[in-house]
Amino acid sequence: MSRFLLHRLLQGLVSIVGASIVIFLISRLSGDPVQILLPSDATPEMIAETRRTLGLDLPLWHQYVIFAWDALRGDFGRSYRWQMPALRLILDRLPATILLAVCGLIFSVAVAVPVGVLSAVRPGGWTDRVGRIFAMLGQAMPAFWVGLLLILLFAVQLNWLPAFGYGGVSHIIMPAIALGWYPVAAQTRIVRSAMRDVLDSDYIRLSRALGTPERWIVWKYALRNAAVPLLTMLGVYFAAMLGGAFVVETIFAWPGVGRTVVEAVFSRDFPVVQAGVLFTSILFVLSNLLVDLTYGIVDPRIRDDR
Amino acid sequence: MTVRRRIPLWLRGVPWLALLVLAVVGICAIGGDDILPADPNQLNLADAFRPPFWAANGSVGNPLGTDNLGRDILSRILAGSRISVIVAAYAIVFSGGIGALAGLVAGYFGGVVDAVLMRLIEIQQSIPSIALALIIAAALEPGLSTVIFVIVLTYWAWYARIIRGEVMTLKGRDYIAFARVAGVGTPTILMRHLLPNIFNTLIVLATLQVGQVILFEASLSFLGLGIQQPDISWGLMLADARQYITNAWWAITMPGIAIMLTCLSANVFGDWLRDRLDPRLRQL
Amino acid sequence: MNHWRISVLAALLASITAGAAAQIPKPATGNLTIAFAAEATMLDPAKSSAGVDQYFFGQIYEQLVRPDPSLKRVNWLAESWSVEDEGGKPVIDVHLRQGVKFHTGDTLTSDDFAFAYNRLRDNKVSKWSHLQASVEAFEIVDPYHFRIHFKQGDGSYVADNLQLWAMSKAYFDRVGDETFGNTPVGTGPWKFVSRTIKEDLKLEAFDDYWNPTQRPTVKNLTIKIIPEDLTRVAAFKTGAVDWIDSVPPSMVEEFRKMPGVTTASYVSPNNMYIAMDAIDDAVPMHDVRVRQAAAYAIDVDAIIKSVLFGQGERYAEVGKGEIGYDSDLKPYPYDPKKARALLAEAGYPRGFDIPCYNLTTQREPYQKEMGEAVFAYLSAAGIRCKVQGQEYGAWISFGRRDRPGHIDGFYSNMWGHGLPGDPGTPWAGHVHTYVPGAGWGITSVHSDPELDALIEQLKATMDLPERDALIRKIARIKHDRVAGGLTTYRPIVTFAWHDNVTFVGWPTPGFWRNLQQIGLKQ
Repeated sequence: MSRFLLHRLLQGLVSIVGASIVIFLISRLSGDPVQILLPSDATPEMIAETRRTLGLDLPLWHQYVIFAWDALRGDFGRSYRWQMPALRLILDRLPATILLAVCGLIFSVAVAVPVGVLSAVRPGGWTDRVGRIFAMLGQAMPAFWVGLLLILLFAVQLNWLPAFGYGGVSHIIMPAIALGWYPVAAQTRIVRSAMRDVLDSDYIRLSRALGTPERWIVWKYALRNAAVPLLTMLGVYFAAMLGGAFVVETIFAWPGVGRTVVEAVFSRDFPVVQAGVLFTSILFVLSNLLVDLTYGIVDPRIRDDR
Repeated sequence: MTVRRRIPLWLRGVPWLALLVLAVVGICAIGGDDILPADPNQLNLADAFRPPFWAANGSVGNPLGTDNLGRDILSRILAGSRISVIVAAYAIVFSGGIGALAGLVAGYFGGVVDAVLMRLIEIQQSIPSIALALIIAAALEPGLSTVIFVIVLTYWAWYARIIRGEVMTLKGRDYIAFARVAGVGTPTILMRHLLPNIFNTLIVLATLQVGQVILFEASLSFLGLGIQQPDISWGLMLADARQYITNAWWAITMPGIAIMLTCLSANVFGDWLRDRLDPRLRQL
Repeated sequence: MNHWRISVLAALLASITAGAAAQIPKPATGNLTIAFAAEATMLDPAKSSAGVDQYFFGQIYEQLVRPDPSLKRVNWLAESWSVEDEGGKPVIDVHLRQGVKFHTGDTLTSDDFAFAYNRLRDNKVSKWSHLQASVEAFEIVDPYHFRIHFKQGDGSYVADNLQLWAMSKAYFDRVGDETFGNTPVGTGPWKFVSRTIKEDLKLEAFDDYWNPTQRPTVKNLTIKIIPEDLTRVAAFKTGAVDWIDSVPPSMVEEFRKMPGVTTASYVSPNNMYIAMDAIDDAVPMHDVRVRQAAAYAIDVDAIIKSVLFGQGERYAEVGKGEIGYDSDLKPYPYDPKKARALLAEAGYPRGFDIPCYNLTTQREPYQKEMGEAVFAYLSAAGIRCKVQGQEYGAWISFGRRDRPGHIDGFYSNMWGHGLPGDPGTPWAGHVHTYVPGAGWGITSVHSDPELDALIEQLKATMDLPERDALIRKIARIKHDRVAGGLTTYRPIVTFAWHDNVTFVGWPTPGFWRNLQQIGLKQ
């Protein structure tokens, strides 16, 4: 087990290093931050001087070596735009993104589990039908559009919820819904098919024959087993939430990493892009690792696979 | 004895509505400018912010209303379908093709080739796809070809991984071993024996991807690094409409509904196809 | 003493004390929270490169001269100043106001301005060091009198409110460069308290501020940063903030009708124009008739009304309130027939195709839509635009001449004339022929020797009435020949505040986001 864990951790490390090289190369090819930072009538000498100060006149491999060496010591450079270390900028905002991803996940699970269970127990019933439509809609609407509609309805028209920022529970409801709606369909499917398999199994039939009330069978015994495949996949869905956060944070002015990175890409703020994508990658890899780990615990046959 | 008219088995359960929507989208895409009720890029400042025809001050001439520059929203939505179809078609064909090829080669040959491919896939999948797309789009000039390139780069890995799994299962089969013994060349084995068997999977994967690709393109265009004017994209229409969300609710809802209907139809059709061709892929 | 004399004496005494009390300003009290739509990235005026930085440091730092709320230039930290001639070379002679204190308690002297000058001309510190290039020497005569010696005339010094900022040398020597930048100290009415990036800036009224009447009356000020329109408006409506800048143009009418709310609109000193390639012989716009056709083809007034919700002010060449403003010079009227006739006359009866570049990243409200509308009007008249959108990074590189190639069609651009406004530097940058390495025409695609000579003369002119006359002259020629681009409009920005707030808008520093006179009603 520990060999498996070590193997996967190493794989993860390789992925993260590889990702950082890829992002480094592509972002440095994405344009010139210097002209964006300087006034539009800056002299060529000023441009060259600024480029030199930022270290952008060195060959790419040299720049990467400097970056990697500094990064290992915790220095991700200073943001070109904001006079502060890029790492601080990202780490200050990471909790907000994680919070949003978790709340999105909570929303999707909170919808998927009841709908999945009821679909399995009462196929064709109205919960099944409504639930399925809800799930299908989620897979067909862009998360940013959901967000905009929610703002239009609940903030602009009805004035029930705030359209912005970071505050209390009322601030996270809409972003969480916009983010969490997409995976509901897949999660419902998992719960439903797992429930059906379990409900057909022998020990459930035995419980029924022994007279245990149906409600107990469904919600206590069957669900516990049906939850397993869902739980193992939670890591994947958490990673998906992180990915969706980039756009949702922008819509809702959520002070998270996603929004910061999007802004940094536009202003060619390389250190911030680098640090932001790196930390999101770390979270990604960790979530996927968690999935494999849980799978490994649940199904020992998988462990021997590459 | 009564003769019962029966719907042939293969026609039963076909999602007609979904196919209808997809057909409409397809016709709009192929039909070109001639089938549009109005010029989608025609500005008419005096006519700006006209609501849909059922609201006060609306007119049947602009059934879904006009945007802030007086352009007819219905025409723009129909014109936008062209971009969606083009992007989906190219992106899926290329990412599916490249992914399938990679998966085929890696799954069959194994060893170093497979190891390298898996590392590449892992690196790719550890970067959030929208972030990767944004950075690449910022590096190249944003536009239609960049969007397709970016989507191909993002989704090839998904195909590769699944096809690789399929091939690894199939290559252990007897008929492949017999072919090898008989001296059949590797390319022939790949093309004539393996490919047809994964074809079903590939088709299903591709149709399931249509919705995802459309949503991805919409997000990219919304953020400003996707489709650029004067091309019309539903995502771009939503981005433009965001600034006057309080003045024109229709500008922000109609293009979104178009996206929703198209994706929904594609997903429903894809699900049906999957159930008919390869129910094992249900977990996807 | 009889009662009459006692009462007169008492009245006299009372009036003397009242008069004395009136000289000492009441200490500011109370808390106020406001919101800006954009924030500064740099708090050090010497290191700043973006105008938006003034939103923050403009509350803390002051200059020698500034325009007052009616855009009239008044002496500020300078008691008096004049341009003199010494051996054929100009000298700006400045007498400093006495008794001005920095927030740290140090007194403002000529040393501080010498220090500021040295920082601003150091190209390792300042991004605008080239603006100090014409200065030969900074001479300190005494602690309240200094003279700036020039190698040659430099009109931009006079146009830019004498360019220097009052920076405390003593403070810099005590705390060093890093702290000087993070914890700014100036002579302004507001003291820096704290700043959280992307969140807010906290300021406190400076009790020892030198100006007794034009100062804030509220003690603690929090400036929240809310870039999203809906959010900012919601914060204002719910009372979370009591004053906002940048009311979204689509909501200005609604705000004007809101009870309990006062609004004020100001012209933003950003001059929008459409650049057009006039230097290539092969390009149609080389012919002045084609350029004029483009001018007649665009209905700028309709664009302002529909696309900008009326929040724009048309200008011919120099805007109202700027030096050299000529009310007799009218912008081109909308006349598509004339446009087509001119095109035919120039040899394009069926029009022509040309690339048109539009900035898609929003720097001014609805700028992208404005560009689309402009290019649509051009297309309707026969100048068929092949529109290409560019986001900011690509757009700014594309517009510069110090790259291979140049703008090869129409290009949506802007160059602010500042406040109160002087077109000298902008014209030097986009009307004068491009001269590599000499600082002329960095984004220019025009070449007209007569205009070049006049613009060079303008650069050297330091006498304000002379500048005014010369600017009028250049404006007429530029207008007739549609040289250096076609002018469109200056955006109008609207601020709003609740009735419990008092506010008088000062133009600089901060492009009207200046809180010199803000307070709470008692």
